[in-house]
Amino acid sequence: MAAGDTALWLHNKLGSTDDLWSGRTICSQLSQERLQSIQECFHTLQPHVKVKLLLAFLHMPRRNTEQWKADLEEILSMAENDSDPWVTMVAEMLRMYPSTGTVNLDLDEVSGTFADVITDLKKMMKKSLETRMLPLECQFVNRSALNSIAGHSAQPIKHFTLKRKPKSATLKRELLQKSNEVSNNRKNN
Amino acid sequence: IKLISDAGYQGEITSVSTACHQIEVFSRVLRTSISSFLEGGEEAIEKNLQEFTKMVCHGEHTYLYSQVLMHILAQEPKGGFNIKRLCQELQKCANEKGLEITPITMALSGAAAYPRACQALSSMLSRQALNPADITVLYKMYSEADPPPVDLIRVPSFLNLLIDTLFRPPSRVNPDHKSKYMYLLAYAASVVDILKKGGRKSVNKEELKPTIQALEKTQSLCTENKASSELIADVGTLFQCLKFPVVSMGVLKWVDHTVSEPSYFKLNTDHTPIHLVLVDEIATNHILLHQKALDLLIRLFEGSYEELDVLVRLELKKKLLDRMVHLFSGGCVIPVVSYIRKCQDTQDTDISLIRYFVTEVLDVIAPPYTSDFIHLFLPLIENKDITGSIKSEDGTDPVSEFIVHCKTNYIVN
Repeated sequence: MAAGDTALWLHNKLGSTDDLWSGRTICSQLSQERLQSIQECFHTLQPHVKVKLLLAFLHMPRRNTEQWKADLEEILSMAENDSDPWVTMVAEMLRMYPSTGTVNLDLDEVSGTFADVITDLKKMMKKSLETRMLPLECQFVNRSALNSIAGHSAQPIKHFTLKRKPKSATLKRELLQKSNEVSNNRKNN
Repeated sequence: IKLISDAGYQGEITSVSTACHQIEVFSRVLRTSISSFLEGGEEAIEKNLQEFTKMVCHGEHTYLYSQVLMHILAQEPKGGFNIKRLCQELQKCANEKGLEITPITMALSGAAAYPRACQALSSMLSRQALNPADITVLYKMYSEADPPPVDLIRVPSFLNLLIDTLFRPPSRVNPDHKSKYMYLLAYAASVVDILKKGGRKSVNKEELKPTIQALEKTQSLCTENKASSELIADVGTLFQCLKFPVVSMGVLKWVDHTVSEPSYFKLNTDHTPIHLVLVDEIATNHILLHQKALDLLIRLFEGSYEELDVLVRLELKKKLLDRMVHLFSGGCVIPVVSYIRKCQDTQDTDISLIRYFVTEVLDVIAPPYTSDFIHLFLPLIENKDITGSIKSEDGTDPVSEFIVHCKTNYIVN
């Protein structure tokens, strides 16, 4: 396919600014030839089309990313030098993706703002050690695993003194008693 | 917009597409939002998550960028878990919106080092359904001598799928594979990777076996479809097993499903249904499951039960309030009282039920109180419609005593 046709195809597929999650829709139609054709027209694409194209890489079957690694990396390196900051950032995040399947986390040098935000938030985290928004898996895990995830928990706030147990305590006692009787009867019979 | 952002007024940038257009502006708005979660904790999640999700999920690039940024912060040894929770809440919301985020989740999880496990997990997570073939792959890997890190399968959405498959009636797991499902669930719930200098030094599996046993016992009791009267003999066993959080999660799922059957309360009117006593026991054992238990009780409390006689219906609701008082007495104070306040404010709850709750609470509490509690509870106490009929003229009743105590010891507006 000629570079102009590829650009038009990408524009038709990814040109909408209403749906910014549509990158993956082109995955099944990518091939090595098409990726090479994309390299020729990449500079002519609109920034949001470039961004969506790069994000499509994440949705490709792993065997394809490995097979077309060189072409994907070529497109990523063109994108790393793009004038649009979003295009550059997405390319930097995906820089290692074709070879390792992981996201690049070393972004401080790429964007000063990113580095500043990380520094500020780390300071903020140190100030808010009292906050306990526990990860959702904590609900499932035994105490020793919980301690390995979130450290030892602080004592909950005591809002009052409990002067006697609520009705539920009697109910539990009665139920356990009944349960014992029934299971003893079963054993005896 | 950039000038507004440069001047530090991130809070003024309210339009999502405006905030997302420039990466610098987006980064700063992101910083402001994350800070507000760090300050506000769980309450902030309740209040601001929806708006936050809208911004982060504006495009796949904003989602990836936000998750990468938060992933870096989540690695911090101190307080990183707070950020991890935020990442998970975002994943959950994105999933609910039907966005395909599994590749990003997997790329960030470190699963790439274990391609077979990664493929098995991805396929189940993106379909939101388990299958025996992928489960078998994971089971084999985690039963071998050098298993992948436990974090790989300690993923809330995967654990929820396992719980759902095993505990939501009718459980349709192939009996030949059931033990693998339970092994993986118990592994994720109990095994601890001992780390040293970034690498894994050893794997502590001490609690794996008892956790599997408790899961097996409970799962088989739950799937036998016994009537409440038949279950009575097994209460002792169930109580023992509920000490394991993962078992409690399963039982909550099972109870939720069982008591949501339209005929359940119609058939169980003479005593407090055994399933609700199990919820009490779960609340006693696990503070982290209080909110989940309360959510279930609220849903039941708000049921219409039109098939029941009015008086029977009121009795049932009192039983549900007893469960809420139990949660309250076990430390779930602010969420429970806030809910009852909401019932009072929206005026859609029979006033006698609110009076019942207040009476039961006054019966079990004594000073000292926190001011948070007093500010929340006092308006219920001072409402004449609620407490007028339970006050005595000489002021020696619990309502008057509570009011006097508050006015003497606290500054009350």
